[in-house]
Amino acid sequence: MSAVFVIAIILVQIFFPHFFPALATSIARPFWRTEFSIGSGSLKSPLLLLAENENLKIQLEEANVRLRTIRAIEMENMELKSFFGKNMNATSTMKDRKILAPVLIRPGVGIYDELIIDGGKNLGFIINDKIYAPGNVLIGAISDVLPETSKVSLFSSSGNIINVLIGPSNASAMAVGRGGGQYSAELPRTVKISAGDFVIVPAIDDKPFGIVSAVESDPAQSLETILLAPPVNIYQLRWVLVEHI
Amino acid sequence: MKLRITTNLIVLIAIIHGWWFIALPLVIIGCWFFPYYIEIMIGGFIYDALFGTTSGTGLMAYSGIIISIVIFAGIIVIKQNIRK
Repeated sequence: MSAVFVIAIILVQIFFPHFFPALATSIARPFWRTEFSIGSGSLKSPLLLLAENENLKIQLEEANVRLRTIRAIEMENMELKSFFGKNMNATSTMKDRKILAPVLIRPGVGIYDELIIDGGKNLGFIINDKIYAPGNVLIGAISDVLPETSKVSLFSSSGNIINVLIGPSNASAMAVGRGGGQYSAELPRTVKISAGDFVIVPAIDDKPFGIVSAVESDPAQSLETILLAPPVNIYQLRWVLVEHI
Repeated sequence: MKLRITTNLIVLIAIIHGWWFIALPLVIIGCWFFPYYIEIMIGGFIYDALFGTTSGTGLMAYSGIIISIVIFAGIIVIKQNIRK
């Protein structure tokens, strides 16, 4: 009897691979959402919320002032880029296709180096949609889509390889994922790289992809190891942007 | 029986939140103290269903169930040898 039951489960898993994940996720999702809401401060007292609201309004005012300055710089940037014939419409269209999604489960506690976000087929997400952390930092892609949630495979997952340009000299290198948002790359020691240098992925976006966190150099070796990390802490992510490909 | 159900509930909560470092010691203890503790495999299956990726990771996507079967079988063998 139990053997028939096990065979039935295996058959369901083979022919309908999303059945059990969808079932388990639909049961777990209310718990994850409750945890997310508690983390977002939904259970705070009204007085505390009002005070926080006031504080946020002040911060918003300050941010608006900074935003106006940034817009002026952006306009100047667009003007300069237009001199080189770069089409800016493509960038603005891409921005419009991004959807904000809450992060329900972050890496660190799981043996799988992934995020689980609130939003799946119901929001039109598909496999390989790009995932951005706040600040337009590319961190991964959707690897599995369920009815109401999606699993995000991080580019930093162990063994993942991605082409990057490192530092002011734009040195081309292969960044290898080490898990937990960390990467490593190897470059000749003659290339001058130092901690804090920016890393970009030209094939995908010209936004910052990571920052050099350390350079390990051995005088006996011709190559030095560059350790990279995204400019955001993926263990503290609460929201991500999903971009449709 | 009550202890077994309580253990299972704690394990289920830990699995739902992805706290494998809480669930794993509990199921190992459960496997040792309770007879035929098949809940360990159900737990592994639920963990994979929640966090394992269905598309394209091969056996890695079944880490939970594989680990639980190894623990279940291992503890049965150890128990049989000790209690002979």
